Amino acid sequence: MSPKRKISLSEEELILALRNREKIAVEALYDMYSASLFGVISRIVTDQAVAEDILQETFVKIWHSFGGYSAEKGRLFTWMVNIARNLAIDKVRSKDFKNQSKNHELENNVTFIDEQRNTVYKPELLGIRDLVSTLKPEQKSILDLVYFKGYTHVEAADELGVPLGTIKTRLRMAILQLRKHFN
Amino acid sequence: MEEVKAYIESGILELYVLGDISAQEKAQVEEMASKHQEVRAEIAEIENSMELYAEVHAVEPSEQLRHRVLNSLLVNLGDDNTFSKSRTRQDDDNVVALPVARVNSFYKYAFAACLTLLLISIYGLVNLYSELQESNSQLTALQTDKQRFANQVSLMDNQLAMYRDTAYKVLKLKGTPKTPTAAMILAWNSVSKKVMVDMETLKLPQHDTKHQYQLWALVGGKPVDMGVFDTATPDTTGVKEMKSIASADAFAVTLEPTGGSVNPTLDQMVVIGKF
Repeated sequence: MSPKRKISLSEEELILALRNREKIAVEALYDMYSASLFGVISRIVTDQAVAEDILQETFVKIWHSFGGYSAEKGRLFTWMVNIARNLAIDKVRSKDFKNQSKNHELENNVTFIDEQRNTVYKPELLGIRDLVSTLKPEQKSILDLVYFKGYTHVEAADELGVPLGTIKTRLRMAILQLRKHFN
Repeated sequence: MEEVKAYIESGILELYVLGDISAQEKAQVEEMASKHQEVRAEIAEIENSMELYAEVHAVEPSEQLRHRVLNSLLVNLGDDNTFSKSRTRQDDDNVVALPVARVNSFYKYAFAACLTLLLISIYGLVNLYSELQESNSQLTALQTDKQRFANQVSLMDNQLAMYRDTAYKVLKLKGTPKTPTAAMILAWNSVSKKVMVDMETLKLPQHDTKHQYQLWALVGGKPVDMGVFDTATPDTTGVKEMKSIASADAFAVTLEPTGGSVNPTLDQMVVIGKF
Protein backbone atom coordinates (compact mmCIF):
# COMPACT_ATOMS: atom_id res chain seq x y z
CA MET A 1 0.00 0.00 0.00
CA SER A 2 1.38 3.38 -0.97
CA PRO A 3 1.67 5.93 1.78
CA LYS A 4 -1.88 7.02 2.11
CA ARG A 5 -2.84 10.56 1.51
CA LYS A 6 -5.76 11.38 3.69
CA ILE A 7 -8.67 12.92 1.90
CA SER A 8 -10.27 15.89 3.55
CA LEU A 9 -13.32 17.87 2.51
CA SER A 10 -15.30 20.61 4.11
CA GLU A 11 -18.33 19.38 6.01
CA GLU A 12 -20.70 20.80 3.37
CA GLU A 13 -18.81 19.16 0.50
CA LEU A 14 -18.73 15.88 2.36
CA ILE A 15 -22.46 15.92 3.07
CA LEU A 16 -23.23 16.69 -0.56
CA ALA A 17 -20.91 13.91 -1.78
CA LEU A 18 -22.46 11.46 0.67
CA ARG A 19 -25.94 12.33 -0.56
CA ASN A 20 -24.81 11.67 -4.13
CA ARG A 21 -23.30 8.32 -3.05
CA GLU A 22 -19.85 9.22 -4.42
CA LYS A 23 -16.87 6.95 -3.85
CA ILE A 24 -14.71 9.81 -2.69
CA ALA A 25 -17.28 10.60 0.02
CA VAL A 26 -16.70 7.21 1.61
CA GLU A 27 -12.95 7.65 1.70
CA ALA A 28 -13.16 11.20 2.99
CA LEU A 29 -15.67 10.13 5.64
CA TYR A 30 -13.32 7.45 6.86
CA ASP A 31 -10.18 9.56 6.76
CA MET A 32 -11.77 12.54 8.51
CA TYR A 33 -13.64 10.76 11.26
CA SER A 34 -12.39 7.18 11.82
CA ALA A 35 -9.85 8.15 14.49
CA SER A 36 -12.24 10.38 16.43
CA LEU A 37 -15.02 7.80 16.33
CA PHE A 38 -12.62 4.99 17.17
CA GLY A 39 -11.41 7.02 20.16
CA VAL A 40 -14.94 7.04 21.54
CA ILE A 41 -15.70 3.40 20.65
CA SER A 42 -12.46 2.00 22.04
CA ARG A 43 -13.05 3.72 25.38
CA ILE A 44 -16.41 1.94 25.67
CA VAL A 45 -15.26 -1.37 24.19
CA THR A 46 -11.71 -2.04 25.29
CA ASP A 47 -11.11 -5.09 23.11
CA GLN A 48 -9.31 -3.81 19.99
CA ALA A 49 -10.82 -6.35 17.58
CA VAL A 50 -14.37 -5.87 18.83
CA ALA A 51 -13.92 -2.08 18.75
CA GLU A 52 -12.80 -2.27 15.12
CA ASP A 53 -15.83 -4.40 14.26
CA ILE A 54 -18.04 -1.75 15.80
CA LEU A 55 -16.25 1.02 13.89
CA GLN A 56 -16.96 -0.87 10.67
CA GLU A 57 -20.58 -1.36 11.71
CA THR A 58 -20.80 2.34 12.47
CA PHE A 59 -19.63 3.32 8.99
CA VAL A 60 -21.99 0.83 7.39
CA LYS A 61 -24.88 2.28 9.35
CA ILE A 62 -23.85 5.88 8.56
CA TRP A 63 -23.64 5.00 4.88
CA HIS A 64 -26.97 3.20 4.73
CA SER A 65 -29.03 5.53 6.88
CA PHE A 66 -27.52 8.76 5.65
CA GLY A 67 -30.97 9.77 4.39
CA GLY A 68 -31.95 10.17 8.04
CA TYR A 69 -29.35 12.87 8.67
CA SER A 70 -30.41 16.47 8.42
CA ALA A 71 -27.83 19.26 8.51
CA GLU A 72 -30.31 21.69 10.09
CA LYS A 73 -30.49 19.58 13.23
CA GLY A 74 -26.79 19.60 13.93
CA ARG A 75 -23.25 18.80 12.90
CA LEU A 76 -22.46 15.61 11.04
CA PHE A 77 -20.03 14.46 13.74
CA THR A 78 -22.68 14.81 16.49
CA TRP A 79 -24.98 12.51 14.52
CA MET A 80 -22.22 10.02 13.78
CA VAL A 81 -20.75 9.87 17.26
CA ASN A 82 -24.19 9.09 18.64
CA ILE A 83 -24.51 6.17 16.20
CA ALA A 84 -21.04 4.93 17.18
CA ARG A 85 -21.71 5.31 20.90
CA ASN A 86 -25.08 3.52 20.70
CA LEU A 87 -23.62 0.57 18.78
CA ALA A 88 -20.75 0.31 21.25
CA ILE A 89 -23.08 0.49 24.27
CA ASP A 90 -25.42 -2.11 22.73
CA LYS A 91 -22.40 -4.38 22.36
CA VAL A 92 -21.13 -3.84 25.90
CA ARG A 93 -24.57 -4.46 27.36
CA SER A 94 -25.26 -7.56 25.26
CA LYS A 95 -25.13 -10.78 27.26
CA ASP A 96 -22.34 -12.53 25.37
CA PHE A 97 -20.06 -9.54 25.70
CA LYS A 98 -20.71 -9.15 29.42
CA ASN A 99 -19.68 -12.72 30.03
CA GLN A 100 -16.28 -12.38 28.40
CA SER A 101 -15.29 -8.84 29.15
CA LYS A 102 -12.77 -8.06 31.81
CA ASN A 103 -13.84 -5.34 34.13
CA HIS A 104 -11.66 -2.30 34.03
CA GLU A 105 -12.15 0.32 36.64
CA LEU A 106 -13.93 3.16 34.89
CA GLU A 107 -11.73 6.02 36.02
CA ASN A 108 -8.57 4.25 35.01
CA ASN A 109 -10.00 3.25 31.71
CA VAL A 110 -9.60 6.47 29.79
CA THR A 111 -5.98 6.91 30.85
CA PHE A 112 -5.41 3.18 30.42
CA ILE A 113 -6.40 3.46 26.77
CA ASP A 114 -4.27 6.56 26.34
CA GLU A 115 -1.27 4.71 27.70
CA GLN A 116 -1.85 1.74 25.47
CA ARG A 117 -2.58 3.41 22.18
CA ASN A 118 -0.96 6.08 20.14
CA THR A 119 -3.33 8.89 20.78
CA VAL A 120 -3.20 11.30 17.89
CA TYR A 121 -2.26 14.86 18.73
CA LYS A 122 -3.00 17.10 15.82
CA PRO A 123 -0.72 20.09 15.26
CA GLU A 124 -3.59 22.54 15.50
CA LEU A 125 -4.43 21.04 18.88
CA LEU A 126 -0.91 21.29 20.30
CA GLY A 127 -0.88 22.19 23.92
CA ILE A 128 -3.93 20.04 24.42
CA ARG A 129 -2.14 18.16 27.15
CA ASP A 130 -3.11 21.13 29.26
CA LEU A 131 -6.70 20.11 28.68
CA VAL A 132 -6.59 17.69 31.54
CA SER A 133 -5.62 20.48 33.87
CA THR A 134 -8.27 22.74 32.32
CA LEU A 135 -11.04 20.49 33.58
CA LYS A 136 -11.55 19.95 37.27
CA PRO A 137 -11.40 16.25 38.18
CA GLU A 138 -15.12 16.10 38.99
CA GLN A 139 -15.92 17.77 35.66
CA LYS A 140 -13.71 15.41 33.71
CA SER A 141 -15.10 12.31 35.39
CA ILE A 142 -18.73 13.21 34.64
CA LEU A 143 -17.91 14.24 31.06
CA ASP A 144 -15.99 11.03 30.38
CA LEU A 145 -18.71 8.91 31.98
CA VAL A 146 -21.33 10.30 29.64
CA TYR A 147 -19.22 10.92 26.55
CA PHE A 148 -16.84 7.99 26.64
CA LYS A 149 -18.63 5.37 28.72
CA GLY A 150 -22.13 5.90 27.39
CA TYR A 151 -23.72 6.50 30.78
CA THR A 152 -26.92 8.49 30.85
CA HIS A 153 -26.70 11.43 33.22
CA VAL A 154 -29.15 9.56 35.50
CA GLU A 155 -26.82 6.54 35.65
CA ALA A 156 -23.86 8.85 36.17
CA ALA A 157 -25.62 10.44 39.15
CA ASP A 158 -26.06 6.96 40.61
CA GLU A 159 -22.47 5.97 39.89
CA LEU A 160 -20.97 9.09 41.42
CA GLY A 161 -23.55 9.42 44.19
CA VAL A 162 -24.35 13.01 43.28
CA PRO A 163 -27.79 14.63 42.84
CA LEU A 164 -29.12 14.84 39.28
CA GLY A 165 -29.09 18.67 39.28
CA THR A 166 -25.43 18.71 40.25
CA ILE A 167 -24.63 16.30 37.44
CA LYS A 168 -26.29 18.54 34.87
CA THR A 169 -24.49 21.61 36.21
CA ARG A 170 -21.09 19.90 36.25
CA LEU A 171 -21.63 18.61 32.73
CA ARG A 172 -22.47 22.09 31.50
CA MET A 173 -19.51 23.61 33.33
CA ALA A 174 -17.19 21.00 31.88
CA ILE A 175 -18.34 21.74 28.34
CA LEU A 176 -18.19 25.50 28.90
CA GLN A 177 -14.62 24.97 30.07
CA LEU A 178 -13.85 23.07 26.88
CA ARG A 179 -15.40 25.80 24.76
CA LYS A 180 -13.24 28.38 26.45
CA HIS A 181 -10.20 26.18 25.94
CA PHE A 182 -10.77 25.56 22.26
CA ASN A 183 -11.46 29.22 21.56
CA MET B 1 -35.15 36.47 26.48
CA GLU B 2 -34.87 35.52 30.12
CA GLU B 3 -36.75 32.38 29.31
CA VAL B 4 -34.29 31.44 26.55
CA LYS B 5 -31.31 32.15 28.78
CA ALA B 6 -32.70 29.97 31.53
CA TYR B 7 -33.38 27.23 28.98
CA ILE B 8 -29.79 27.38 27.77
CA GLU B 9 -28.44 27.31 31.32
CA SER B 10 -30.59 24.34 32.31
CA GLY B 11 -27.99 22.08 30.67
CA ILE B 12 -30.50 20.36 28.42
CA LEU B 13 -28.64 21.45 25.25
CA GLU B 14 -25.53 19.60 26.42
CA LEU B 15 -27.58 16.47 27.01
CA TYR B 16 -29.15 16.97 23.58
CA VAL B 17 -25.74 17.01 21.91
CA LEU B 18 -24.65 13.97 23.95
CA GLY B 19 -27.76 12.09 22.79
CA ASP B 20 -28.80 11.58 26.43
CA ILE B 21 -32.35 12.81 26.08
CA SER B 22 -35.88 11.49 25.52
CA ALA B 23 -37.60 11.76 22.15
CA GLN B 24 -40.07 14.24 23.63
CA GLU B 25 -37.32 16.50 25.01
CA LYS B 26 -35.46 16.19 21.72
CA ALA B 27 -38.44 17.49 19.77
CA GLN B 28 -38.75 20.32 22.29
CA VAL B 29 -35.09 21.31 21.87
CA GLU B 30 -35.40 21.25 18.10
CA GLU B 31 -38.46 23.46 18.28
CA MET B 32 -36.63 25.96 20.53
CA ALA B 33 -33.65 25.89 18.16
CA SER B 34 -35.82 26.67 15.16
CA LYS B 35 -37.33 29.64 17.03
CA HIS B 36 -34.27 31.10 18.71
CA GLN B 37 -30.97 32.01 17.10
CA GLU B 38 -29.27 31.94 20.55
CA VAL B 39 -30.24 28.33 21.10
CA ARG B 40 -28.92 27.36 17.65
CA ALA B 41 -25.64 29.15 18.33
CA GLU B 42 -25.30 27.52 21.73
CA ILE B 43 -25.88 24.06 20.29
CA ALA B 44 -23.30 24.72 17.53
CA GLU B 45 -20.76 25.79 20.17
CA ILE B 46 -21.36 22.68 22.25
CA GLU B 47 -21.14 20.41 19.22
CA ASN B 48 -17.93 22.04 18.07
CA SER B 49 -16.25 21.65 21.45
CA MET B 50 -17.38 18.04 21.78
CA GLU B 51 -16.03 17.28 18.32
CA LEU B 52 -12.70 18.81 19.23
CA TYR B 53 -12.72 16.92 22.53
CA ALA B 54 -13.19 13.71 20.56
CA GLU B 55 -10.36 14.69 18.23
CA VAL B 56 -8.09 15.19 21.21
CA HIS B 57 -8.89 11.66 22.31
CA ALA B 58 -8.78 10.22 18.81
CA VAL B 59 -7.24 6.75 18.42
CA GLU B 60 -6.05 5.56 15.01
CA PRO B 61 -7.58 2.20 14.12
CA SER B 62 -5.28 -0.33 12.45
CA GLU B 63 -4.18 0.24 8.84
CA GLN B 64 -6.04 -2.79 7.47
CA LEU B 65 -9.34 -1.58 8.84
CA ARG B 66 -9.51 1.29 6.35
CA HIS B 67 -9.37 -1.18 3.50
CA ARG B 68 -11.93 -3.46 5.14
CA VAL B 69 -14.42 -0.68 5.86
CA LEU B 70 -14.10 0.95 2.44
CA ASN B 71 -14.57 -2.43 0.79
CA SER B 72 -17.67 -3.22 2.78
CA LEU B 73 -19.15 0.17 1.86
CA LEU B 74 -18.12 0.30 -1.79
CA VAL B 75 -18.87 -3.29 -2.75
CA ASN B 76 -22.51 -2.52 -3.42
CA LEU B 77 -22.07 1.06 -4.50
CA GLY B 78 -23.58 0.39 -7.94
CA ASP B 79 -26.69 -1.09 -6.34
CA ASP B 80 -26.79 1.69 -3.81
CA ASN B 81 -26.78 4.29 -6.56
CA THR B 82 -29.85 2.68 -8.05
CA PHE B 83 -31.77 2.18 -4.85
CA SER B 84 -30.09 4.56 -2.44
CA LYS B 85 -33.00 6.87 -1.63
CA SER B 86 -35.50 4.12 -0.94
CA ARG B 87 -33.20 2.19 1.36
CA THR B 88 -34.99 1.52 4.63
CA ARG B 89 -34.35 -0.33 7.83
CA GLN B 90 -36.32 -3.21 6.34
CA ASP B 91 -33.63 -3.62 3.68
CA ASP B 92 -30.94 -3.80 6.33
CA ASP B 93 -32.89 -6.49 8.13
CA ASN B 94 -33.08 -8.48 4.91
CA VAL B 95 -29.33 -8.30 4.55
CA VAL B 96 -28.95 -9.64 8.07
CA ALA B 97 -31.29 -12.52 7.28
CA LEU B 98 -28.85 -14.11 4.77
CA PRO B 99 -26.85 -16.33 7.13
CA VAL B 100 -30.07 -18.09 8.15
CA ALA B 101 -30.56 -19.22 4.57
CA ARG B 102 -27.02 -20.56 4.56
CA VAL B 103 -27.70 -22.57 7.72
CA ASN B 104 -30.80 -24.03 6.06
CA SER B 105 -28.90 -25.12 2.98
CA PHE B 106 -26.32 -26.71 5.25
CA TYR B 107 -28.98 -28.90 6.82
CA LYS B 108 -30.31 -29.72 3.35
CA TYR B 109 -26.90 -30.98 2.25
CA ALA B 110 -26.35 -32.76 5.55
CA PHE B 111 -29.68 -34.53 5.14
CA ALA B 112 -28.86 -35.55 1.58
CA ALA B 113 -25.48 -36.86 2.74
CA CYS B 114 -27.13 -38.85 5.52
CA LEU B 115 -29.61 -40.36 3.08
CA THR B 116 -26.83 -41.35 0.69
CA LEU B 117 -24.89 -42.93 3.51
CA LEU B 118 -27.97 -44.82 4.63
CA LEU B 119 -28.55 -46.21 1.15
CA ILE B 120 -24.92 -47.28 0.83
CA SER B 121 -25.11 -48.93 4.25
CA ILE B 122 -28.27 -50.84 3.37
CA TYR B 123 -26.73 -52.02 0.10
CA GLY B 124 -23.60 -53.15 1.96
CA LEU B 125 -25.68 -54.90 4.59
CA VAL B 126 -27.71 -56.83 2.00
CA ASN B 127 -24.51 -57.91 0.24
CA LEU B 128 -22.96 -59.01 3.49
CA TYR B 129 -26.10 -60.90 4.49
CA SER B 130 -26.23 -62.89 1.25
CA GLU B 131 -22.53 -63.73 1.61
CA LEU B 132 -23.21 -64.91 5.14
CA GLN B 133 -26.06 -67.11 3.89
CA GLU B 134 -23.80 -68.64 1.26
CA SER B 135 -21.06 -69.33 3.81
CA ASN B 136 -23.59 -70.92 6.13
CA SER B 137 -24.90 -73.29 3.45
CA GLN B 138 -21.31 -74.20 2.51
CA LEU B 139 -20.62 -74.91 6.14
CA THR B 140 -23.70 -77.14 6.40
CA ALA B 141 -22.67 -79.03 3.25
CA LEU B 142 -19.19 -79.54 4.66
CA GLN B 143 -20.59 -80.80 7.95
CA THR B 144 -22.86 -83.25 6.12
CA ASP B 145 -19.89 -84.46 4.12
CA LYS B 146 -17.83 -84.82 7.24
CA GLN B 147 -20.60 -86.77 8.95
CA ARG B 148 -20.91 -89.08 5.95
CA PHE B 149 -17.19 -89.77 5.91
CA ALA B 150 -17.17 -90.37 9.65
CA ASN B 151 -20.04 -92.87 9.26
CA GLN B 152 -18.26 -94.58 6.44
CA VAL B 153 -15.04 -94.81 8.40
CA SER B 154 -16.78 -96.35 11.42
CA LEU B 155 -18.59 -98.77 9.13
CA MET B 156 -15.32 -99.85 7.56
CA ASP B 157 -13.84 -100.21 11.03
CA ASN B 158 -16.66 -102.58 11.97
CA GLN B 159 -16.11 -104.55 8.81
CA LEU B 160 -12.38 -104.81 9.38
CA ALA B 161 -12.93 -105.80 12.99
CA MET B 162 -15.26 -108.55 11.86
CA TYR B 163 -12.67 -110.13 9.59
CA ARG B 164 -9.82 -109.70 12.05
CA ASP B 165 -11.72 -111.09 15.01
CA THR B 166 -10.73 -114.73 15.33
CA ALA B 167 -14.07 -115.48 17.00
CA TYR B 168 -15.77 -114.97 13.62
CA LYS B 169 -16.10 -117.89 11.32
CA VAL B 170 -16.37 -116.92 7.66
CA LEU B 171 -18.59 -119.13 5.51
CA LYS B 172 -18.93 -119.00 1.75
CA LEU B 173 -22.38 -119.98 0.55
CA LYS B 174 -22.41 -121.42 -2.96
CA GLY B 175 -25.11 -121.48 -5.58
CA THR B 176 -27.49 -124.43 -5.98
CA PRO B 177 -27.82 -126.17 -9.33
CA LYS B 178 -30.75 -123.86 -10.06
CA THR B 179 -28.64 -120.73 -9.56
CA PRO B 180 -25.02 -121.80 -10.12
CA THR B 181 -23.60 -118.22 -10.24
CA ALA B 182 -25.09 -117.17 -6.94
CA ALA B 183 -22.70 -116.67 -4.03
CA MET B 184 -22.67 -115.02 -0.63
CA ILE B 185 -20.28 -114.54 2.27
CA LEU B 186 -21.51 -114.86 5.84
CA ALA B 187 -19.69 -114.49 9.18
CA TRP B 188 -20.79 -116.10 12.44
CA ASN B 189 -19.35 -115.25 15.80
CA SER B 190 -19.52 -118.27 18.03
CA VAL B 191 -18.82 -116.11 21.15
CA SER B 192 -21.26 -113.20 20.66
CA LYS B 193 -23.58 -115.38 18.51
CA LYS B 194 -23.83 -112.60 15.92
CA VAL B 195 -24.46 -113.42 12.28
CA MET B 196 -23.44 -110.93 9.61
CA VAL B 197 -24.01 -110.93 5.83
CA ASP B 198 -21.42 -109.20 3.65
CA MET B 199 -23.65 -107.13 1.39
CA GLU B 200 -20.79 -105.94 -0.83
CA THR B 201 -19.90 -109.36 -2.14
CA LEU B 202 -23.51 -110.48 -2.34
CA LYS B 203 -24.26 -112.16 -5.69
CA LEU B 204 -27.92 -113.24 -5.80
CA PRO B 205 -30.44 -112.99 -8.65
CA GLN B 206 -32.57 -109.81 -8.53
CA HIS B 207 -36.00 -110.39 -6.92
CA ASP B 208 -39.26 -108.49 -7.43
CA THR B 209 -40.94 -106.23 -4.88
CA LYS B 210 -43.22 -108.99 -3.61
CA HIS B 211 -40.36 -111.24 -2.53
CA GLN B 212 -37.38 -111.05 -0.16
CA TYR B 213 -34.52 -113.37 0.53
CA GLN B 214 -34.68 -115.17 3.88
CA LEU B 215 -31.66 -116.60 5.72
CA TRP B 216 -32.00 -119.93 7.47
CA ALA B 217 -29.70 -121.72 9.88
CA LEU B 218 -29.78 -125.51 9.94
CA VAL B 219 -29.47 -126.72 13.52
CA GLY B 220 -29.64 -130.53 13.81
CA GLY B 221 -31.36 -130.75 10.42
CA LYS B 222 -34.07 -128.19 11.37
CA PRO B 223 -34.28 -124.78 9.69
CA VAL B 224 -34.29 -121.72 12.00
CA ASP B 225 -35.41 -118.29 10.72
CA MET B 226 -32.51 -115.79 10.71
CA GLY B 227 -34.35 -112.79 9.18
CA VAL B 228 -34.91 -111.35 5.72
CA PHE B 229 -32.83 -109.12 3.46
CA ASP B 230 -32.94 -107.59 0.01
CA THR B 231 -30.50 -107.96 -2.84
CA ALA B 232 -27.82 -105.37 -3.06
CA THR B 233 -28.96 -101.97 -4.25
CA PRO B 234 -26.21 -99.70 -5.58
CA ASP B 235 -25.86 -97.77 -2.30
CA THR B 236 -25.89 -100.84 -0.07
CA THR B 237 -22.49 -101.18 1.49
CA GLY B 238 -20.94 -102.93 4.38
CA VAL B 239 -22.45 -105.76 6.36
CA LYS B 240 -25.96 -106.50 7.59
CA GLU B 241 -26.49 -108.02 11.01
CA MET B 242 -29.00 -110.85 11.10
CA LYS B 243 -30.63 -112.62 14.06
CA SER B 244 -28.29 -114.29 16.56
CA ILE B 245 -27.84 -118.00 16.97
CA ALA B 246 -25.73 -120.10 19.37
CA SER B 247 -24.79 -122.85 16.98
CA ALA B 248 -25.48 -123.93 13.41
CA ASP B 249 -24.39 -126.67 11.04
CA ALA B 250 -25.18 -124.87 7.83
CA PHE B 251 -26.75 -121.69 6.44
CA ALA B 252 -29.04 -121.37 3.41
CA VAL B 253 -30.99 -118.63 1.66
CA THR B 254 -34.41 -119.08 0.05
CA LEU B 255 -36.64 -116.67 -1.87
CA GLU B 256 -39.82 -116.05 0.16
CA PRO B 257 -42.78 -113.67 -0.04
CA THR B 258 -41.99 -110.22 1.46
CA GLY B 259 -41.69 -110.42 5.26
CA GLY B 260 -40.48 -114.03 5.23
CA SER B 261 -42.11 -117.42 5.89
CA VAL B 262 -42.24 -119.71 8.90
CA ASN B 263 -40.82 -122.65 6.94
CA PRO B 264 -38.41 -122.38 4.02
CA THR B 265 -39.65 -123.00 0.51
CA LEU B 266 -36.94 -125.46 -0.39
CA ASP B 267 -37.31 -125.35 -4.16
CA GLN B 268 -36.60 -121.60 -3.98
CA MET B 269 -33.21 -122.10 -2.31
CA VAL B 270 -30.49 -120.03 -4.02
CA VAL B 271 -27.33 -120.63 -1.93
CA ILE B 272 -26.21 -123.00 0.76
CA GLY B 273 -22.98 -123.49 2.75
CA LYS B 274 -21.84 -125.86 5.48
CA PHE B 275 -19.15 -125.57 8.12
